[in-house]
Amino acid sequence: MSKNTVHPDQYFIEGLANNDSAIIQSIYKKFVPKVVSYIRNNSGDEDQAQDVVQEIMILLFNQAKAKQLQLTCPFDAYFFLLCKRKWLNELKKSSNKGVTIPDDFTSTNEPTEEMVAQTETFEEKQQLFDIMFQRLGEKCQEVLKLSFTLKSMEEVAEKLQVTYGYVRKKKSLCTAQLTQWIQEHSSFKSLKN
Amino acid sequence: MNEEKYLLFDEYLQGELSESARLDFEKQLLENIELASELENFKEAQAQLAVKFGFETDRKAFVANLESISKEHFMADKSKVIALKPWTYLVAATVVLLMGLFLFNSNSNPSFEEYNQYENAYFTERGDEVDYLKQAETAFNTKDFKAAIPLFEAILKTNKTAEIQYFYGISLLENNQIKQAEAVFNEIKSGNSIYKNKAIYGLALAQLKQKDYKGCQEILLTIPSDYEDYDTVQELLDRLD
Repeated sequence: MSKNTVHPDQYFIEGLANNDSAIIQSIYKKFVPKVVSYIRNNSGDEDQAQDVVQEIMILLFNQAKAKQLQLTCPFDAYFFLLCKRKWLNELKKSSNKGVTIPDDFTSTNEPTEEMVAQTETFEEKQQLFDIMFQRLGEKCQEVLKLSFTLKSMEEVAEKLQVTYGYVRKKKSLCTAQLTQWIQEHSSFKSLKN
Repeated sequence: MNEEKYLLFDEYLQGELSESARLDFEKQLLENIELASELENFKEAQAQLAVKFGFETDRKAFVANLESISKEHFMADKSKVIALKPWTYLVAATVVLLMGLFLFNSNSNPSFEEYNQYENAYFTERGDEVDYLKQAETAFNTKDFKAAIPLFEAILKTNKTAEIQYFYGISLLENNQIKQAEAVFNEIKSGNSIYKNKAIYGLALAQLKQKDYKGCQEILLTIPSDYEDYDTVQELLDRLD
């Protein structure tokens, strides 16, 4: 991702990250109708479209907050393709027979494909991370959660009524455990690139 | 697990190593690709944790806001989309036909009671206003307008939205506080919310309730034809003609 080619539509991303109602409303007004009509024309209804749109918006919020989202293509095409692929995946999941998802990556232009692939990778990593986090012991989960919520490790120690040295060590080792599991996970390698 | 290694990673990332220890560690990183890659993964896990928990409050606020905007968008959208379905034209035509037959037989002026059917209130719940909103919603939907009015007034003090104002206006109208109702509708009318045309229709209903048919007609004529319930407007206009 090179910084010098950021698309002017980046302001939609910033708007999402800043929870800017005017920007969110304008996304709904400008880009959502197209998604809704696509889903309605492909075995879905309006409620399902509403869910898909919300999921994608939350995903973009997370990616933007992680400072990993720099648009290099128009928001319109990027957003539509993300929603479309999410919907086709939903269909595939819910259908017993399995739906063949047409490979959209041949029909659209390259920067959009690349952006969508980046976001989908971010989502997969996030899901994998969430699964691994759930595998941690209760104490680990608690220490990590507090370490990234409270302002300082001193506060974490106070809250848990343990020593500063203990929470520092625990935090490092619990993060290490997560790191190892993610490294071991077979899909990690393919996701890394 | 090599605990020492990860404790070292943490100290390094926190900038707690002494100058010489840091230089030594960075030299190791350059020489040992595996170590460097492990550090990268450790950093990434930390970044994931920061996103997962560090922005939890922000995320909750975002999701709440998103849901409310989404609801507003799809509610407005729903009525528009339905109005475009072909079968509704058929229904509308049938209604007009029945209306015509009815007129032919009765030839009476339209009454307020024939046109005061409102959509149900369905408010988004936000924070500490939840109780009032819920009570107001129930009061309105059960047509207990008298009880709804003070509840809406309380909500409007802290949360003045066109949606609440609109339902407040309807409640006032139903409770025969026509002047106040008109003031509320006029305020919505001067704004640019999705309730703008509904408010104008409310003003027309206020005239109808007072049996000022000409006044009602004049107001109805100012409602643009893309108003979601324009069929009713058209029907009422035909009857007033």
